Amino acid sequence: MLENLKVASFLAFKQIQRGSKGTLILTIMIIALVFVNLVFLPSIISGVVETFNSQSINFNYGNLVIEPREGDQYISDVDALQKKVEQIPGIVGTSPRVSTGVTFFYKGRNARSTLYGINPQDERSVTTINERIVQGEFLSRGDTDKIIMGKTLAGTEGEEGGGLPTLQGVQVGDSVEVAFPNGERRTFQVKGIYETQSISVDTSAFTTTDAVAQVLGLEDQASQILVKTAVNGQEEMFRIRLLSYGVQQQVFTYEQKGAGFVNQAIQSFEIINAISTLVSLIIAIVVIFIVIFINTVNKRRQIGILKAIGIDKQIIINSYVLQVLFIATLGALAGIVLTAGVIYYLTVNPLVFPGGPVFPVIEPATVVRSIASLFAVSVIAGYIPAWKTAHEEILDAIQR
Amino acid sequence: MIVAEEITRVYRMGKVEVWALKGVSFTIADGEFVGITGASGSGKSTLLHILGLLDRPTSGRVLIGDRDVQRLSDRQQTLFRLNRLGYVFQDYALIPELTAIENVIVTSLARGVSEKEYLKRGAEVLREVGLGDRINHRQSELSGGEQQRVAIARAIVHKPSILLADEPCANLDSETSKNILDLFKQLNEDLNQSIVMVSHEKWHERYFCRIIDLKDGLINSMRECNVNR
Ligand SMILES: Nc1ncnc2c1ncn2[C@@H]1O[C@H](COP(=O)(O)OP(=O)(O)OP(=O)(O)O)[C@@H](O)[C@H]1O
Ligand SMILES: [Mg+2]
Repeated sequence: MLENLKVASFLAFKQIQRGSKGTLILTIMIIALVFVNLVFLPSIISGVVETFNSQSINFNYGNLVIEPREGDQYISDVDALQKKVEQIPGIVGTSPRVSTGVTFFYKGRNARSTLYGINPQDERSVTTINERIVQGEFLSRGDTDKIIMGKTLAGTEGEEGGGLPTLQGVQVGDSVEVAFPNGERRTFQVKGIYETQSISVDTSAFTTTDAVAQVLGLEDQASQILVKTAVNGQEEMFRIRLLSYGVQQQVFTYEQKGAGFVNQAIQSFEIINAISTLVSLIIAIVVIFIVIFINTVNKRRQIGILKAIGIDKQIIINSYVLQVLFIATLGALAGIVLTAGVIYYLTVNPLVFPGGPVFPVIEPATVVRSIASLFAVSVIAGYIPAWKTAHEEILDAIQR
Repeated sequence: MIVAEEITRVYRMGKVEVWALKGVSFTIADGEFVGITGASGSGKSTLLHILGLLDRPTSGRVLIGDRDVQRLSDRQQTLFRLNRLGYVFQDYALIPELTAIENVIVTSLARGVSEKEYLKRGAEVLREVGLGDRINHRQSELSGGEQQRVAIARAIVHKPSILLADEPCANLDSETSKNILDLFKQLNEDLNQSIVMVSHEKWHERYFCRIIDLKDGLINSMRECNVNR
């Protein structure tokens, strides 16, 4: 057995050493490119998911969202609930929000969107919108006649929103009139403009809870309470912990809140990815098969000679499989280098998606799976032609 | 002992049948050095292929040491070729990617000979055939006669009990031919090897115990020679 492996590796080594370098390099490059193709798209998808998740956590929902019980419009006794939740180990911040659909009026233009009432101090403990102010300042306590506005909603002079609400050119210091659902109108001064690149956030505006509560007549009430946990990724565990600490309201993870849209997007991505994976694997099979096939067909005579002088077929087949394994290994390595190059480029120059910049995220499982499938494919594509040629009659192989 | 019993070999090419061998029988004793002669196309290579387990007769049997070799499994036949036979092909049949010595020792590897030993033996046998200074050359860097001698070295490196050689001197000058034939004779005498060799040269006859002359796939004549051996 060991002898056989020795002969097979001897033959494989000599063939690679003295065979055509051009073909060798071509095959390695093809495998490398297939590898890049197998890893690249999933890494972009993971990047999109990652971007979307961090957008959701940082700007839209925090890690968890507490919402009113079924049938209620508001959560009541917000102060008490906030205190209760903040005591729970692992919770680092809570931010009650009152949200209401409003119409903004500015220089004869108007736009329908959402206005949130927040407690600026609380909001800072959960979201990072305060770090995204591009003009002016974030809200402070007592700013009952001030508002901050998303970049998209504020807009640019002369540019229509293309379906998104925009006031086309609001500047810090300008006054904006807001019509509330109960018919009341109020004028706010724009204190700051922020840009998060999350569409829903950038088309909204924020003022203080006090301001909204005055208009709507609310007291110690909120539409939702955002909850921030110390680490990301354990939302489900914390959701259950909140409930076990006696939170009577509905508790959702940011994933559940964002589900509909992202899941659909991801599902379509996954389908595209599956097709692309399949296609690249088929290309790999075909290419490797052709290369090995041509290689073995050209080596027919040698294979016949080796059999004639008493070398077992299995040794001959193994020598080709070893060559393919060697080529696949180099191909995978070259592929890793290429992928690293592409990823590096895209990290420096990220793709910009509607949800924000997307950095490719390479998951080890994808890499392992890609390498494994490349090897499987290579071995199959190498084995079949070698097997076929090695099973020919000796003289047929030698003479023709 | 090699026994050929009524061997025929028919090549079928579409509707046309070519009878390369039409019923050939003979016995070759251990230690016998047999020459096979005959015109081109008379079936010499075909016969040697069959004796060398490279081809199957259409009918008839080949017994080597009382064993019907056609009954051996594929793997057993391979092992038989590896360990018991040495074969010199009419067209050398070297592996182009291997150097002279690698061509010679590749079967030693499969036989499990140690590296030290096969390198020594490989160099030794190449020296014997007069290629001591060519061991690291590849086929493309060797002349026809040199390639032929590599093929001979490969066939005798393991001192096989049966050596089959298809015109092994076709491309050699008479001086080199004589060296090779002396080498064969020495193996034949020292190791009691059976040698079956296809030859056209009249002067080779003095090495043979017996000559089987083929004509159109049949034995034309069989005569003892070199009686004073
Ligand atoms: N694969 C084959 N298919 C068809 N016919 C073949 C084949 N091999 C040999 N023959 C025919 O069988 C006959 C005997 O061929 P063989 O090669 O044994 O002759 P030979 O005596 O070795 O000739 P030479 O001295 O030229 O080498 C020839 O007529 C040849 O054409
Ligand atoms: Mg011939």
